[in-house]
Amino acid sequence: MCFSACPFEAIKRDPETGKLFLEIEKCQVCAICYSGCPAKAIDIIYYDMNSLTRYLENAKEEYRSDSLVILCKGSAPDFQDVEKLFGISKFIPLSVPCVGRIPPELLLRALFPLGIKKIYILACDEDYCRFERGSSITGRRITALNVLLEQSGYGKELIKLKRNSLKVKADRNKCISCGNCVFYCPYDAAKLDNGAAIFNLELCRGCGLCVTLCPAFALDLDHWEEDRISALISELPKEKKKANILVLRCQWSVFPKLDEEFDSNVHIIDMPCAARVDPLHILEAFRQGIDGILIAACPEEDCKSKTGSTEARRSATALKKTLSQIGLEERLHFCSVAPRYPEAFREELKQFKVMIEIACSKEVRQ
Amino acid sequence: MIITAQKPLDEILDILSPYNSILIAGCDGCTQPPRGLREARTLAQLLELGGKLRSKNFNLRVTTLPKQCDSYLTLTTLQAQIEGIEAILSLACGLGVQTITQVLPDIPTFPSQNTLFIGAEIREDSTIEERCAACGDCMLAITGGICPIARCAKSLLNGPCGGSQHGKCEIDPEKDCAWDLVIKRLEKLGRLSALDEIRAPRNFGQVVRPGRIRV
Repeated sequence: MCFSACPFEAIKRDPETGKLFLEIEKCQVCAICYSGCPAKAIDIIYYDMNSLTRYLENAKEEYRSDSLVILCKGSAPDFQDVEKLFGISKFIPLSVPCVGRIPPELLLRALFPLGIKKIYILACDEDYCRFERGSSITGRRITALNVLLEQSGYGKELIKLKRNSLKVKADRNKCISCGNCVFYCPYDAAKLDNGAAIFNLELCRGCGLCVTLCPAFALDLDHWEEDRISALISELPKEKKKANILVLRCQWSVFPKLDEEFDSNVHIIDMPCAARVDPLHILEAFRQGIDGILIAACPEEDCKSKTGSTEARRSATALKKTLSQIGLEERLHFCSVAPRYPEAFREELKQFKVMIEIACSKEVRQ
Repeated sequence: MIITAQKPLDEILDILSPYNSILIAGCDGCTQPPRGLREARTLAQLLELGGKLRSKNFNLRVTTLPKQCDSYLTLTTLQAQIEGIEAILSLACGLGVQTITQVLPDIPTFPSQNTLFIGAEIREDSTIEERCAACGDCMLAITGGICPIARCAKSLLNGPCGGSQHGKCEIDPEKDCAWDLVIKRLEKLGRLSALDEIRAPRNFGQVVRPGRIRV
Protein backbone atom coordinates (compact mmCIF):
# COMPACT_ATOMS: atom_id res chain seq x y z
CA MET A 1 0.00 0.00 0.00
CA CYS A 2 2.73 2.45 0.99
CA PHE A 3 4.62 1.57 -2.18
CA SER A 4 1.72 2.68 -4.38
CA ALA A 5 0.60 5.60 -2.18
CA CYS A 6 3.97 7.41 -1.88
CA PRO A 7 3.79 10.52 -4.10
CA PHE A 8 7.58 10.77 -4.31
CA GLU A 9 8.52 7.21 -5.22
CA ALA A 10 10.61 7.03 -2.08
CA ILE A 11 9.44 3.55 -1.20
CA LYS A 12 11.10 0.90 -3.34
CA ARG A 13 10.88 -2.84 -3.62
CA ASP A 14 14.05 -4.91 -3.50
CA PRO A 15 13.87 -6.99 -6.67
CA GLU A 16 15.62 -9.96 -5.04
CA THR A 17 13.98 -10.24 -1.64
CA GLY A 18 10.70 -8.52 -2.55
CA LYS A 19 10.94 -6.45 0.64
CA LEU A 20 10.06 -2.77 0.69
CA PHE A 21 12.61 -0.19 1.71
CA LEU A 22 12.71 3.60 2.07
CA GLU A 23 14.96 5.85 0.02
CA ILE A 24 15.27 8.53 2.67
CA GLU A 25 16.66 11.23 0.34
CA LYS A 26 13.41 11.20 -1.62
CA CYS A 27 11.12 11.15 1.40
CA GLN A 28 9.23 14.43 2.06
CA VAL A 29 7.78 13.15 5.36
CA CYS A 30 4.19 13.63 4.21
CA ALA A 31 3.28 10.48 6.21
CA ILE A 32 0.69 9.33 3.69
CA CYS A 33 2.32 5.90 3.97
CA TYR A 34 2.11 6.05 7.76
CA SER A 35 -1.56 6.93 7.85
CA GLY A 36 -2.38 4.22 5.31
CA CYS A 37 -0.32 1.31 6.60
CA PRO A 38 -2.74 -1.41 7.72
CA ALA A 39 -0.02 -3.28 9.59
CA LYS A 40 1.29 -0.26 11.54
CA ALA A 41 4.71 -1.21 10.27
CA ILE A 42 5.80 2.39 9.65
CA ASP A 43 7.04 4.79 12.30
CA ILE A 44 6.90 8.52 11.77
CA ILE A 45 8.94 11.30 13.34
CA TYR A 46 6.15 13.87 13.51
CA TYR A 47 2.54 13.60 14.65
CA ASP A 48 2.39 9.91 15.42
CA MET A 49 -0.79 8.38 16.80
CA ASN A 50 0.33 8.65 20.41
CA SER A 51 1.31 12.30 20.32
CA LEU A 52 -1.83 13.23 18.37
CA THR A 53 -4.04 11.40 20.85
CA ARG A 54 -2.25 13.06 23.74
CA TYR A 55 -2.73 16.43 22.10
CA LEU A 56 -6.45 15.83 21.63
CA GLU A 57 -6.89 14.72 25.23
CA ASN A 58 -5.28 17.89 26.52
CA ALA A 59 -6.83 20.19 23.93
CA LYS A 60 -10.35 19.00 24.74
CA GLU A 61 -9.90 20.34 28.26
CA GLU A 62 -8.17 23.49 27.11
CA TYR A 63 -10.61 24.54 24.39
CA ARG A 64 -13.77 23.18 26.09
CA SER A 65 -15.35 22.18 22.82
CA ASP A 66 -16.52 18.97 21.21
CA SER A 67 -15.82 20.10 17.64
CA LEU A 68 -12.43 19.27 16.19
CA VAL A 69 -10.98 21.15 13.21
CA ILE A 70 -8.02 19.55 11.48
CA LEU A 71 -6.26 22.00 9.19
CA CYS A 72 -3.54 21.56 6.64
CA LYS A 73 -0.92 24.27 7.22
CA GLY A 74 -0.74 24.75 3.46
CA SER A 75 -4.19 26.29 3.17
CA ALA A 76 -5.22 27.17 6.71
CA PRO A 77 -6.50 30.73 7.00
CA ASP A 78 -6.87 32.67 10.26
CA PHE A 79 -9.03 31.05 12.91
CA GLN A 80 -11.78 33.64 12.36
CA ASP A 81 -11.96 32.58 8.74
CA VAL A 82 -12.10 28.93 9.79
CA GLU A 83 -15.11 29.83 11.92
CA LYS A 84 -16.79 31.44 8.95
CA LEU A 85 -15.89 28.61 6.61
CA PHE A 86 -17.51 25.92 8.73
CA GLY A 87 -20.06 28.10 10.52
CA ILE A 88 -18.83 27.20 14.01
CA SER A 89 -17.57 29.36 16.83
CA LYS A 90 -15.72 27.14 19.30
CA PHE A 91 -13.41 24.37 18.23
CA ILE A 92 -10.28 22.41 18.98
CA PRO A 93 -7.71 23.30 16.34
CA LEU A 94 -5.20 20.79 15.08
CA SER A 95 -2.87 22.15 12.45
CA VAL A 96 -0.73 19.65 10.56
CA PRO A 97 1.51 19.67 7.50
CA CYS A 98 -0.85 17.80 5.14
CA VAL A 99 -4.07 16.25 6.42
CA GLY A 100 -3.08 13.13 4.46
CA ARG A 101 -0.92 12.17 7.44
CA ILE A 102 -3.91 11.66 9.75
CA PRO A 103 -4.70 7.96 10.13
CA PRO A 104 -8.45 7.21 9.96
CA GLU A 105 -7.97 5.47 13.27
CA LEU A 106 -7.26 8.80 14.94
CA LEU A 107 -10.58 10.19 13.72
CA LEU A 108 -12.38 7.20 15.20
CA ARG A 109 -10.46 7.59 18.45
CA ALA A 110 -11.45 11.24 18.58
CA LEU A 111 -15.10 10.45 17.96
CA PHE A 112 -15.50 7.59 20.38
CA PRO A 113 -13.26 7.34 23.41
CA LEU A 114 -12.68 11.11 23.39
CA GLY A 115 -16.26 12.12 22.73
CA ILE A 116 -15.74 14.60 19.91
CA LYS A 117 -19.15 15.19 18.32
CA LYS A 118 -18.12 16.48 14.92
CA ILE A 119 -14.87 16.64 12.98
CA TYR A 120 -14.16 19.30 10.37
CA ILE A 121 -11.24 18.83 8.03
CA LEU A 122 -9.80 21.61 5.95
CA ALA A 123 -7.62 20.19 3.19
CA CYS A 124 -5.93 21.97 0.33
CA ASP A 125 -7.56 22.00 -3.08
CA GLU A 126 -6.38 18.84 -4.76
CA ASP A 127 -4.14 20.58 -7.28
CA TYR A 128 -2.73 22.78 -4.48
CA CYS A 129 -1.59 19.88 -2.26
CA ARG A 130 2.12 20.18 -1.50
CA PHE A 131 2.30 16.41 -1.28
CA GLU A 132 0.41 15.80 -4.49
CA ARG A 133 -1.91 13.09 -3.20
CA GLY A 134 -2.51 14.09 0.42
CA SER A 135 -5.74 15.95 -0.23
CA SER A 136 -7.28 13.46 -2.65
CA ILE A 137 -6.45 10.47 -0.45
CA THR A 138 -8.01 12.26 2.54
CA GLY A 139 -11.12 12.93 0.47
CA ARG A 140 -11.55 9.24 -0.34
CA ARG A 141 -10.91 8.18 3.25
CA ILE A 142 -13.47 10.60 4.65
CA THR A 143 -16.13 9.49 2.17
CA ALA A 144 -15.56 5.84 3.14
CA LEU A 145 -15.51 6.63 6.87
CA ASN A 146 -18.72 8.64 6.68
CA VAL A 147 -20.50 5.80 4.90
CA LEU A 148 -19.26 3.38 7.53
CA LEU A 149 -20.36 5.65 10.37
CA GLU A 150 -23.77 6.26 8.86
CA GLN A 151 -24.33 2.54 8.33
CA SER A 152 -23.41 1.93 11.94
CA GLY A 153 -26.11 4.37 12.99
CA TYR A 154 -24.04 7.39 14.00
CA GLY A 155 -25.74 9.84 11.67
CA LYS A 156 -24.82 11.57 8.43
CA GLU A 157 -21.54 13.34 7.66
CA LEU A 158 -19.92 13.13 11.07
CA ILE A 159 -16.73 14.21 9.40
CA LYS A 160 -17.02 17.26 7.20
CA LEU A 161 -14.38 17.99 4.60
CA LYS A 162 -13.74 21.31 2.91
CA ARG A 163 -10.97 22.42 0.66
CA ASN A 164 -9.18 25.70 0.46
CA SER A 165 -6.10 27.32 -1.02
CA LEU A 166 -4.29 30.57 -0.41
CA LYS A 167 -3.49 32.59 -3.49
CA VAL A 168 -2.20 35.89 -4.77
CA LYS A 169 -4.29 39.07 -4.77
CA ALA A 170 -3.47 41.78 -7.29
CA ASP A 171 -4.37 45.46 -7.11
CA ARG A 172 -4.51 46.88 -10.64
CA ASN A 173 -4.35 50.44 -9.37
CA LYS A 174 -0.96 49.99 -7.72
CA CYS A 175 0.66 47.99 -10.54
CA ILE A 176 3.46 49.79 -12.40
CA SER A 177 3.68 47.07 -15.09
CA CYS A 178 7.33 46.29 -14.43
CA GLY A 179 6.81 42.64 -15.36
CA ASN A 180 8.67 41.13 -12.39
CA CYS A 181 5.77 38.82 -11.49
CA VAL A 182 5.38 37.72 -15.10
CA PHE A 183 9.01 36.70 -15.28
CA TYR A 184 9.48 35.20 -11.83
CA CYS A 185 6.19 33.31 -11.33
CA PRO A 186 7.24 29.63 -11.33
CA TYR A 187 3.77 28.63 -12.56
CA ASP A 188 3.27 31.15 -15.40
CA ALA A 189 0.20 32.45 -13.60
CA ALA A 190 0.94 36.16 -14.19
CA LYS A 191 0.40 38.22 -17.32
CA LEU A 192 0.39 41.89 -18.14
CA ASP A 193 -2.98 42.97 -19.40
CA ASN A 194 -3.60 46.56 -20.48
CA GLY A 195 -0.76 47.85 -18.35
CA ALA A 196 -1.45 45.84 -15.17
CA ALA A 197 -0.65 42.39 -13.85
CA ILE A 198 -3.44 39.84 -13.85
CA PHE A 199 -3.25 36.31 -12.48
CA ASN A 200 -4.72 33.03 -13.56
CA LEU A 201 -5.63 31.83 -10.09
CA GLU A 202 -6.02 28.27 -11.27
CA LEU A 203 -2.29 28.21 -11.89
CA CYS A 204 -1.23 30.17 -8.78
CA ARG A 205 0.19 27.94 -6.06
CA GLY A 206 0.59 30.61 -3.44
CA CYS A 207 4.38 30.61 -2.98
CA GLY A 208 4.44 34.38 -2.57
CA LEU A 209 7.54 34.99 -4.67
CA CYS A 210 5.80 37.64 -6.80
CA VAL A 211 4.55 39.40 -3.67
CA THR A 212 8.06 39.64 -2.26
CA LEU A 213 9.41 40.95 -5.56
CA CYS A 214 6.66 43.42 -6.44
CA PRO A 215 8.27 46.89 -6.28
CA ALA A 216 4.92 48.65 -5.94
CA PHE A 217 3.16 46.56 -3.23
CA ALA A 218 0.48 45.80 -5.79
CA LEU A 219 0.41 42.12 -4.85
CA ASP A 220 -0.41 40.32 -1.64
CA LEU A 221 -0.95 36.73 -0.58
CA ASP A 222 -3.99 35.35 1.22
CA HIS A 223 -3.20 34.85 4.92
CA TRP A 224 0.43 35.93 4.37
CA GLU A 225 -0.32 39.58 3.76
CA GLU A 226 2.48 42.12 4.03
CA ASP A 227 0.70 43.83 6.92
CA ARG A 228 -0.13 40.63 8.77
CA ILE A 229 3.51 39.51 8.80
CA SER A 230 4.60 43.02 9.86
CA ALA A 231 2.11 42.85 12.72
CA LEU A 232 3.38 39.43 13.80
CA ILE A 233 6.90 40.84 13.90
CA SER A 234 5.98 43.91 15.88
CA GLU A 235 4.02 41.81 18.39
CA LEU A 236 7.05 39.65 19.22
CA PRO A 237 8.31 40.21 22.75
CA LYS A 238 11.78 41.69 22.63
CA GLU A 239 13.80 41.17 25.75
CA LYS A 240 16.38 43.74 26.70
CA LYS A 241 18.75 41.42 28.51
CA LYS A 242 18.77 38.48 26.13
CA ALA A 243 19.62 38.11 22.46
CA ASN A 244 16.32 38.01 20.54
CA ILE A 245 16.24 35.52 17.72
CA LEU A 246 13.65 35.25 14.98
CA VAL A 247 13.33 32.23 12.73
CA LEU A 248 11.51 32.74 9.46
CA ARG A 249 10.75 29.19 8.58
CA CYS A 250 9.35 27.68 5.42
CA GLN A 251 6.57 25.52 6.80
CA TRP A 252 7.69 22.60 4.62
CA SER A 253 11.34 22.72 5.66
CA VAL A 254 10.79 21.87 9.30
CA PHE A 255 7.59 20.49 10.74
CA PRO A 256 6.87 21.94 14.15
CA LYS A 257 6.24 19.34 16.77
CA LEU A 258 3.02 19.44 18.71
CA ASP A 259 4.68 19.95 22.06
CA GLU A 260 7.65 21.85 20.72
CA GLU A 261 9.08 24.52 22.96
CA PHE A 262 11.96 26.85 22.32
CA ASP A 263 13.87 29.13 24.62
CA SER A 264 11.89 32.23 25.47
CA ASN A 265 14.13 34.40 23.30
CA VAL A 266 13.65 32.32 20.14
CA HIS A 267 10.60 33.21 18.08
CA ILE A 268 9.31 31.38 15.05
CA ILE A 269 7.18 32.70 12.22
CA ASP A 270 6.14 30.15 9.63
CA MET A 271 6.12 31.10 5.97
CA PRO A 272 4.24 29.47 3.09
CA CYS A 273 7.58 29.14 1.26
CA ALA A 274 10.97 30.75 1.84
CA ALA A 275 10.16 32.83 -1.25
CA ARG A 276 7.72 34.82 0.88
CA VAL A 277 10.54 35.93 3.21
CA ASP A 278 10.60 39.64 2.49
CA PRO A 279 13.83 41.62 3.02
CA LEU A 280 11.62 44.43 4.25
CA HIS A 281 10.26 42.25 7.06
CA ILE A 282 13.79 41.26 8.00
CA LEU A 283 14.84 44.90 8.25
CA GLU A 284 11.69 45.77 10.19
CA ALA A 285 12.50 43.04 12.70
CA PHE A 286 16.10 44.25 13.13
CA ARG A 287 14.91 47.79 13.61
CA GLN A 288 12.44 46.70 16.27
CA GLY A 289 15.10 45.00 18.36
CA ILE A 290 15.49 41.49 16.94
CA ASP A 291 19.20 40.64 17.14
CA GLY A 292 19.46 37.72 14.76
CA ILE A 293 17.32 36.26 11.98
CA LEU A 294 17.57 32.71 10.73
CA ILE A 295 15.85 31.81 7.48
CA ALA A 296 15.04 28.11 7.21
CA ALA A 297 14.33 27.03 3.64
CA CYS A 298 14.01 23.67 1.94
CA PRO A 299 16.92 22.29 -0.05
CA GLU A 300 16.42 23.47 -3.64
CA GLU A 301 15.53 19.98 -4.88
CA ASP A 302 12.81 19.63 -2.21
CA CYS A 303 11.22 23.05 -2.75
CA LYS A 304 7.46 22.71 -2.95
CA SER A 305 7.23 25.75 -5.21
CA LYS A 306 9.86 25.10 -7.88
CA THR A 307 12.18 28.12 -7.68
CA GLY A 308 11.08 29.43 -4.27
CA SER A 309 14.05 28.23 -2.30
CA THR A 310 16.56 29.27 -4.98
CA GLU A 311 15.14 32.79 -5.16
CA ALA A 312 15.00 33.03 -1.38
CA ARG A 313 18.69 32.17 -1.14
CA ARG A 314 19.53 34.75 -3.76
CA SER A 315 17.54 37.44 -2.03
CA ALA A 316 19.09 36.61 1.37
CA THR A 317 22.60 36.70 -0.11
CA ALA A 318 21.94 40.12 -1.64
CA LEU A 319 20.54 41.45 1.64
CA LYS A 320 23.51 40.12 3.60
CA LYS A 321 25.79 41.98 1.22
CA THR A 322 23.92 45.21 1.87
CA LEU A 323 23.85 44.57 5.61
CA SER A 324 27.63 44.09 5.54
CA GLN A 325 27.90 47.81 4.74
CA ILE A 326 26.59 48.58 8.20
CA GLY A 327 28.29 45.65 9.89
CA LEU A 328 25.18 43.52 10.38
CA GLU A 329 25.81 40.67 7.93
CA GLU A 330 26.37 38.12 10.69
CA ARG A 331 22.91 38.81 12.06
CA LEU A 332 21.23 37.12 9.10
CA HIS A 333 21.71 33.48 8.27
CA PHE A 334 20.12 31.35 5.56
CA CYS A 335 20.02 27.59 5.94
CA SER A 336 18.49 24.72 4.00
CA VAL A 337 16.96 21.97 6.06
CA ALA A 338 14.56 19.13 5.37
CA PRO A 339 11.97 17.62 7.69
CA ARG A 340 13.44 14.14 7.20
CA TYR A 341 16.45 15.28 9.24
CA PRO A 342 14.91 17.11 12.21
CA GLU A 343 18.28 17.34 13.95
CA ALA A 344 19.69 19.51 11.15
CA PHE A 345 17.41 22.43 11.97
CA ARG A 346 18.01 22.16 15.71
CA GLU A 347 21.75 22.16 15.09
CA GLU A 348 21.54 25.21 12.79
CA LEU A 349 19.46 27.05 15.36
CA LYS A 350 21.80 26.14 18.19
CA GLN A 351 24.88 27.36 16.35
CA PHE A 352 23.18 30.54 15.19
CA LYS A 353 21.95 31.26 18.70
CA VAL A 354 25.44 30.92 20.14
CA MET A 355 26.82 33.20 17.45
CA ILE A 356 24.20 35.90 18.02
CA GLU A 357 24.59 35.69 21.79
CA ILE A 358 28.34 36.25 21.43
CA ALA A 359 27.76 39.16 19.02
CA CYS A 360 25.29 40.75 21.45
CA SER A 361 27.56 40.38 24.45
CA LYS A 362 30.38 42.06 22.49
CA GLU A 363 28.04 44.93 21.71
CA VAL A 364 27.25 45.40 25.39
CA ARG A 365 30.93 45.50 26.30
CA GLN A 366 31.69 48.19 23.73
CA MET B 1 16.34 51.20 -19.20
CA ILE B 2 18.65 53.39 -17.18
CA ILE B 3 20.73 51.23 -14.92
CA THR B 4 21.76 52.41 -11.49
CA ALA B 5 23.53 50.85 -8.53
CA GLN B 6 22.96 51.86 -4.95
CA LYS B 7 25.74 53.85 -3.35
CA PRO B 8 27.44 52.35 -0.31
CA LEU B 9 25.27 53.01 2.77
CA ASP B 10 28.15 54.76 4.49
CA GLU B 11 28.35 57.31 1.70
CA ILE B 12 24.59 57.96 1.85
CA LEU B 13 24.72 58.26 5.64
CA ASP B 14 27.58 60.77 5.33
CA ILE B 15 25.65 62.85 2.80
CA LEU B 16 22.55 62.87 5.00
CA SER B 17 24.31 63.46 8.31
CA PRO B 18 23.45 67.19 8.59
CA TYR B 19 19.71 66.52 8.14
CA ASN B 20 17.01 64.87 10.22
CA SER B 21 13.74 64.97 8.29
CA ILE B 22 14.29 63.35 4.94
CA LEU B 23 11.96 62.32 2.14
CA ILE B 24 13.08 59.24 0.23
CA ALA B 25 11.67 59.40 -3.28
CA GLY B 26 11.47 56.29 -5.42
CA CYS B 27 10.95 56.26 -9.17
CA ASP B 28 8.65 53.79 -10.94
CA GLY B 29 10.10 54.82 -14.27
CA CYS B 30 12.64 52.99 -16.33
CA THR B 31 15.10 51.48 -13.86
CA GLN B 32 15.05 47.70 -13.57
CA PRO B 33 14.48 46.40 -10.99
CA PRO B 34 12.23 49.40 -10.44
CA ARG B 35 13.35 51.58 -7.57
CA GLY B 36 9.80 52.31 -6.46
CA LEU B 37 8.04 52.18 -3.13
CA ARG B 38 9.53 48.85 -2.02
CA GLU B 39 13.10 50.04 -2.64
CA ALA B 40 12.32 53.34 -0.93
CA ARG B 41 11.01 51.57 2.17
CA THR B 42 13.90 49.13 2.16
CA LEU B 43 16.42 51.95 1.97
CA ALA B 44 14.59 53.80 4.74
CA GLN B 45 14.88 50.75 7.02
CA LEU B 46 18.56 50.35 6.18
CA LEU B 47 19.28 54.01 6.85
CA GLU B 48 17.44 53.88 10.14
CA LEU B 49 19.45 50.84 11.17
CA GLY B 50 22.70 52.37 9.95
CA GLY B 51 21.81 55.71 11.53
CA LYS B 52 21.20 54.08 14.90
CA LEU B 53 24.68 52.57 14.81
CA ARG B 54 25.99 56.11 14.36
CA SER B 55 23.69 57.37 17.13
CA LYS B 56 21.64 59.26 14.62
CA ASN B 57 17.87 59.12 14.58
CA PHE B 58 16.46 60.06 11.21
CA ASN B 59 12.88 61.02 10.63
CA LEU B 60 12.32 59.35 7.27
CA ARG B 61 9.32 59.50 5.00
CA VAL B 62 8.95 57.54 1.78
CA THR B 63 7.16 58.16 -1.48
CA THR B 64 7.42 57.19 -5.11
CA LEU B 65 6.90 58.99 -8.40
CA PRO B 66 5.74 57.58 -11.73
CA LYS B 67 8.68 59.25 -13.51
CA GLN B 68 11.06 61.54 -11.65
CA CYS B 69 12.29 62.98 -14.94
CA ASP B 70 8.87 64.49 -15.65
CA SER B 71 9.16 67.91 -14.06
CA TYR B 72 5.44 68.65 -13.98
CA LEU B 73 4.49 65.28 -12.45
CA THR B 74 7.35 65.50 -9.99
CA LEU B 75 6.52 69.00 -8.81
CA THR B 76 2.81 68.32 -8.42
CA THR B 77 3.34 65.03 -6.62
CA LEU B 78 6.11 66.17 -4.29
CA GLN B 79 4.72 69.59 -3.41
CA ALA B 80 2.12 68.08 -1.11
CA GLN B 81 4.67 65.96 0.72
CA ILE B 82 7.53 68.29 1.58
CA GLU B 83 6.28 70.07 4.63
CA GLY B 84 8.98 69.92 7.28
CA ILE B 85 11.32 68.04 4.95
CA GLU B 86 14.97 69.20 5.13
CA ALA B 87 16.38 67.06 2.33
CA ILE B 88 15.26 64.67 -0.38
CA LEU B 89 17.04 61.43 -1.19
CA SER B 90 16.30 60.26 -4.71
CA LEU B 91 16.33 56.66 -5.86
CA ALA B 92 16.21 57.69 -9.51
CA CYS B 93 19.01 58.17 -12.03
CA GLY B 94 20.98 61.41 -12.18
CA LEU B 95 18.20 62.86 -14.27
CA GLY B 96 15.64 62.37 -11.52
CA VAL B 97 17.88 64.05 -8.95
CA GLN B 98 18.32 67.06 -11.22
CA THR B 99 14.63 67.30 -12.03
CA ILE B 100 13.73 67.45 -8.34
CA THR B 101 16.50 70.00 -7.77
CA GLN B 102 15.05 72.10 -10.58
CA VAL B 103 11.42 71.98 -9.43
CA LEU B 104 12.14 72.26 -5.69
CA PRO B 105 15.20 74.53 -5.55
CA ASP B 106 14.80 75.33 -1.84
CA ILE B 107 15.36 71.77 -0.67
CA PRO B 108 18.65 69.97 -1.26
CA THR B 109 18.17 66.72 -3.21
CA PHE B 110 20.78 63.97 -3.08
CA PRO B 111 21.37 60.84 -5.12
CA SER B 112 21.24 57.42 -3.48
CA GLN B 113 22.32 55.84 -6.73
CA ASN B 114 25.25 55.81 -9.07
CA THR B 115 23.86 56.02 -12.59
CA LEU B 116 25.71 53.56 -14.77
CA PHE B 117 24.43 53.09 -18.30
CA ILE B 118 21.55 52.33 -20.63
CA GLY B 119 21.16 48.60 -20.36
CA ALA B 120 18.99 45.56 -20.07
CA GLU B 121 18.44 43.14 -17.25
CA ILE B 122 19.08 39.57 -18.33
CA ARG B 123 16.94 38.02 -15.61
CA GLU B 124 17.77 34.43 -16.60
CA ASP B 125 21.39 35.17 -15.74
CA SER B 126 20.83 37.74 -12.97
CA THR B 127 22.98 40.25 -14.82
CA ILE B 128 22.48 43.69 -16.28
CA GLU B 129 24.41 44.63 -19.42
CA GLU B 130 25.03 47.86 -21.24
CA ARG B 131 23.36 47.98 -24.64
CA CYS B 132 23.33 51.59 -25.87
CA ALA B 133 25.95 54.30 -25.49
CA ALA B 134 23.69 57.17 -26.62
CA CYS B 135 26.44 58.03 -29.15
CA GLY B 136 24.18 60.08 -31.40
CA ASP B 137 25.03 58.26 -34.64
CA CYS B 138 23.28 54.90 -34.58
CA MET B 139 24.90 52.15 -36.63
CA LEU B 140 22.60 49.26 -35.60
CA ALA B 141 21.24 49.10 -39.15
CA ILE B 142 24.66 48.04 -40.45
CA THR B 143 25.68 45.79 -37.55
CA GLY B 144 22.64 43.53 -37.46
CA GLY B 145 21.03 45.10 -34.42
CA ILE B 146 24.02 44.65 -32.11
CA CYS B 147 25.86 47.76 -30.96
CA PRO B 148 29.66 47.63 -31.05
CA ILE B 149 29.94 51.15 -29.63
CA ALA B 150 28.31 50.11 -26.35
CA ARG B 151 29.27 46.46 -26.28
CA CYS B 152 32.86 46.40 -27.60
CA ALA B 153 35.45 47.37 -24.98
CA LYS B 154 37.19 49.55 -27.57
CA SER B 155 34.03 50.73 -29.33
CA LEU B 156 35.62 49.55 -32.58
CA LEU B 157 33.95 50.50 -35.85
CA ASN B 158 35.77 47.74 -37.72
CA GLY B 159 36.12 44.62 -35.62
CA PRO B 160 36.84 42.26 -34.11
CA CYS B 161 40.33 42.97 -32.80
CA GLY B 162 42.93 40.35 -31.98
CA GLY B 163 41.63 40.13 -28.43
CA SER B 164 38.47 38.30 -29.45
CA GLN B 165 38.82 34.79 -28.07
CA HIS B 166 36.19 32.09 -28.65
CA GLY B 167 33.50 34.71 -28.80
CA LYS B 168 34.61 36.41 -25.59
CA CYS B 169 36.50 39.63 -24.94
CA GLU B 170 40.08 39.49 -23.71
CA ILE B 171 39.50 42.13 -21.08
CA ASP B 172 36.83 40.01 -19.39
CA PRO B 173 36.12 36.43 -20.41
CA GLU B 174 32.59 36.76 -19.01
CA LYS B 175 31.71 39.35 -21.62
CA ASP B 176 30.79 38.54 -25.20
CA CYS B 177 32.88 40.01 -28.01
CA ALA B 178 30.38 42.36 -29.66
CA TRP B 179 32.02 41.98 -33.06
CA ASP B 180 31.86 38.21 -32.83
CA LEU B 181 28.12 38.59 -32.22
CA VAL B 182 27.79 41.08 -35.10
CA ILE B 183 29.52 38.79 -37.59
CA LYS B 184 27.57 35.70 -36.56
CA ARG B 185 24.37 37.67 -36.78
CA LEU B 186 25.12 39.09 -40.25
CA GLU B 187 26.19 35.65 -41.44
CA LYS B 188 22.82 34.30 -40.37
CA LEU B 189 21.07 37.13 -42.17
CA GLY B 190 23.24 36.56 -45.28
CA ARG B 191 24.42 40.15 -45.07
CA LEU B 192 28.07 39.71 -44.22
CA SER B 193 28.94 41.89 -47.23
CA ALA B 194 27.70 44.87 -45.22
CA LEU B 195 31.09 44.75 -43.52
CA ASP B 196 33.11 44.86 -46.75
CA GLU B 197 33.37 48.60 -46.53
CA ILE B 198 35.92 49.84 -43.99
CA ARG B 199 34.30 52.54 -41.89
CA ALA B 200 36.36 55.67 -41.41
CA PRO B 201 37.03 56.93 -37.90
CA ARG B 202 34.10 58.80 -36.45
CA ASN B 203 34.20 62.48 -35.92
CA PHE B 204 33.32 62.60 -32.26
CA GLY B 205 33.82 66.36 -32.47
CA GLN B 206 30.34 66.54 -33.95
CA VAL B 207 28.86 65.26 -30.71
CA VAL B 208 28.11 68.37 -28.76
CA ARG B 209 27.84 68.25 -25.00
CA PRO B 210 25.59 69.22 -23.39
CA GLY B 211 23.04 67.91 -25.87
CA ARG B 212 20.06 70.09 -26.66
CA ILE B 213 17.35 69.75 -29.29
CA ARG B 214 14.18 71.68 -29.83
CA VAL B 215 11.00 69.68 -30.37
